[in-house]
Order: sequence, then structure tokens, then C-alpha cells
Amino acid sequence: MKITAISPVVRGIAIWCGLAVAPLMLAAQSADAAREIAELPSAPEPHLAISTISSGDSQEQDEKQQKTDSQSQPQNGSAPSLGDLGFTPEQAKPNAQLQALLDKRTHMLKIHQRLGIITVFPMAAALITGPMAKAKGRNGQTITEPTQANLDFHAALGGATTALYFSTAYFAVFAPKVPGVQRRGAIRLHRALAFVHGSGMIATPVLGAMAFKQEQAGEKVHGIASAHGTVAWATTIAYGAAIVSVSWPIRIHH
Amino acid sequence: MSRRLAPLFLLLVLACAPKATCQADTQWTLEQSTLSYHMSHPMHQVDGVSHGAKGKGTCYAGQCDFLIAAPVNSFDSGDSNRDLHMVQVTRGAQFPLVIVRTRIPEQASPLGTIYADLEVQFAGQTAKYSHVPFQVSTNGGEVKITGTIPATCSDFKIDPPSFLTISIKNEIPVKVDTTWRAAN
Repeated sequence: MKITAISPVVRGIAIWCGLAVAPLMLAAQSADAAREIAELPSAPEPHLAISTISSGDSQEQDEKQQKTDSQSQPQNGSAPSLGDLGFTPEQAKPNAQLQALLDKRTHMLKIHQRLGIITVFPMAAALITGPMAKAKGRNGQTITEPTQANLDFHAALGGATTALYFSTAYFAVFAPKVPGVQRRGAIRLHRALAFVHGSGMIATPVLGAMAFKQEQAGEKVHGIASAHGTVAWATTIAYGAAIVSVSWPIRIHH
Repeated sequence: MSRRLAPLFLLLVLACAPKATCQADTQWTLEQSTLSYHMSHPMHQVDGVSHGAKGKGTCYAGQCDFLIAAPVNSFDSGDSNRDLHMVQVTRGAQFPLVIVRTRIPEQASPLGTIYADLEVQFAGQTAKYSHVPFQVSTNGGEVKITGTIPATCSDFKIDPPSFLTISIKNEIPVKVDTTWRAAN
């Protein structure tokens, strides 16, 4: 049918209907769009970069790249949108504050991890030098006192271990906690062991100081101070187990 | 085209624009899903699993558009400390959803292997994977689609986490196991 066949009256009505209905349709579209935006701000807002990866070789990749371009993932009118999936706003809303908290937490826990490993060395050295800082011989027999240098060296290693240990603990204790997270997995054993070696790391230097005082007085270490070595060993074993526990299960893979 | 026809075409275009007037031929809903990433370190092999994905597919004019999204924090590796670290390195609080879009022809083989081009939004980046094979099988009214997305840390500019100063492998393949049901 030619346009001239449409009477001016019909044409006028058609145009009028179109213009009258169009704002309603546009309003409906904007309402839809507004609802989607309000409910679900698309998680990854900025498309900072786009990379294309093919599961085939490079020649295939070119072909597939073209294919990808021609199919370019794009939304036709009926393509589903994030708003159709039914995520709650909390699930989809970007949370810069939480990201900052996680960043700080990770930063502190990385320092905790590094200091914790560094602490192993003076701790092991203090254990090794422990027998050299101990008087030898039974009561009633000749007692060989340790040299002052050995005593000082062992005491210095103990002091370094204690300082590093509590610095390590600081970064774990004061790392920000993420609300609503239930602890699962190896971290529970790691924390439980922290109570054991934490108590040990308080007791060991105190007992060590008592033992040192007795040695300096020319006495053989006695009383509760004689438990210094045993407590130190138990603390080190618990400390080592705590390190291994966060690494467990270890599966060597090449 | 005559200029006089323009208002009528405008009317038709405006009338067809709202979704309500352009119904999809078929709609698909994601019934069940298991997404799992695999992380490899010389001392550890870790799998993080999520059952929290939601998805929809619409077929129209011979093409099917699928959208699947899962909250980044829904992946569970069995260790809450590791999961929090994963959310941190993937900037999962700022970009809380991993989103996969794909378009496949409606006539794609209903059984066997299909090859899909995927667009994955994750950690504030978008990566495209072309020609990714997926296995399709049917069970009653359900269609099961399984496959592996060959993702890597570098695709999404993620600094690979390290343990004892050794970084994890760049490859973090994501296994996809989904069950879909036609909605109409």
C-alpha cells in the first residue's frame, strides 16, 4: 500500500497514538532500568581490562577472536540481566570499607606469618644452647657451673625469642576481624595451639629468669625454675605444630 | 523510505522495545550448580566450591543468552582464613559477584559437546574465553552442562597468593557443573 493510500485522518490518528503511548513505554523502560540499577549495581563496575583467551592454538585463537567479536556477548532485548537472578542487594553491593578491612587484615597477617617464621630461628637456637647454660652434676657431687658467656648468650637468645614472639602475636591478635565469619578448618587448631605456646612463652622467660638468678647465686637450679627447660621444649613443640597446622594438609606437588 | 513512513516505524520500534512485548521463546533457570576453582602450590592442592550460583537463559530468534553469577564469598575451600584471603586478593568485597555470560545458538547439539564463547567478569576485570568445550546431557526435563573454564590469575590481574614465599600457580581452572530446567 502506498503512503498516499493512507487517509490523512488515519495517519493523524496513528501518529497521535504513537506519540501518546511512547512516553508511557519509555517510562516503563526507565522504571525497569531504575529498578535494576537500584536493586543490583552490577558488581564489577569498571571494565578495567578485557582479555581474550582461547582454549586452542594461536591460529584458532584468531578465528575464535573473530567469532567472539561477531557474537560479542551482548545483550539483546531478551538477554537476562543481573536483576533477573534474584541476588539480595547485600550480596551484590560493592563494599569498599570491607575491602579496606580485608586488605589491612591480610597485610597484618602476612607480617604475622613472616615474623612467626623468623622467630623459629632464635627459638631453636635457645633450645640448643639451653644445656650449655645449665649447671652439671648431681647434688653431693662436684657441680660444673656454666660459663658466664654461655649463660648470657642463652639469655640473649631467650630475650630475642620473647620479643619476636610477642611482636608476632600482636599482628595476629590485632588484625581486624571480619564480622559474621565462622572459623573453619586449620585455623581453629592454629588458634587452640596458640593458647598452649602463648602460656608457654609467658612461663618460659619467667622460669628462665628464676633459673638464671639461682645460677648466678652459685646454686643448682631447683624448685619450679627447674621446669624451665621442659616448658621451653613443650612451647617450641606447640609452636612448631601451630606453624604446621596452618599448612596442613601438605601435599608435595611438582 | 519515504519520510512519511518514519512516524509509523518509530511507533513500531517503540512498541517492540519493552521486554513485555518481545517475549523470549524459551527461558532456562539454573536449578543446581557446583562451581569449583582449583589452586595449586608446591605444598598444597586446594579446591574452593560454591553452590551459590544463580543463572538464567533466554532464547530468542535462534540465539540463547545465558547469564550465571555467583557471590565470590560463597566459595568454600574448607578453611575460613584461606577463603577470606581469597576474597581479599580477588577484590571480592569491591566486586562481589563473578559473572559469566555466554551466547550459543538455540540449535546447538542438545547432547554431547558444545563450544561456547564466555565473557567472565571477576575481580573488576573482564576476560573472554573462546571455544570452551562443555558436555551436555539430559535427564528428564533437566539439562546438565559441565565443563572447565581455563581461568588464570593474570587474566584478572590477581596477584597470585604465596605461601612460604612461593606463589601459587597462575592457572586456576574453574569446573562448572550446572543443571538447567526450561521455564516455559
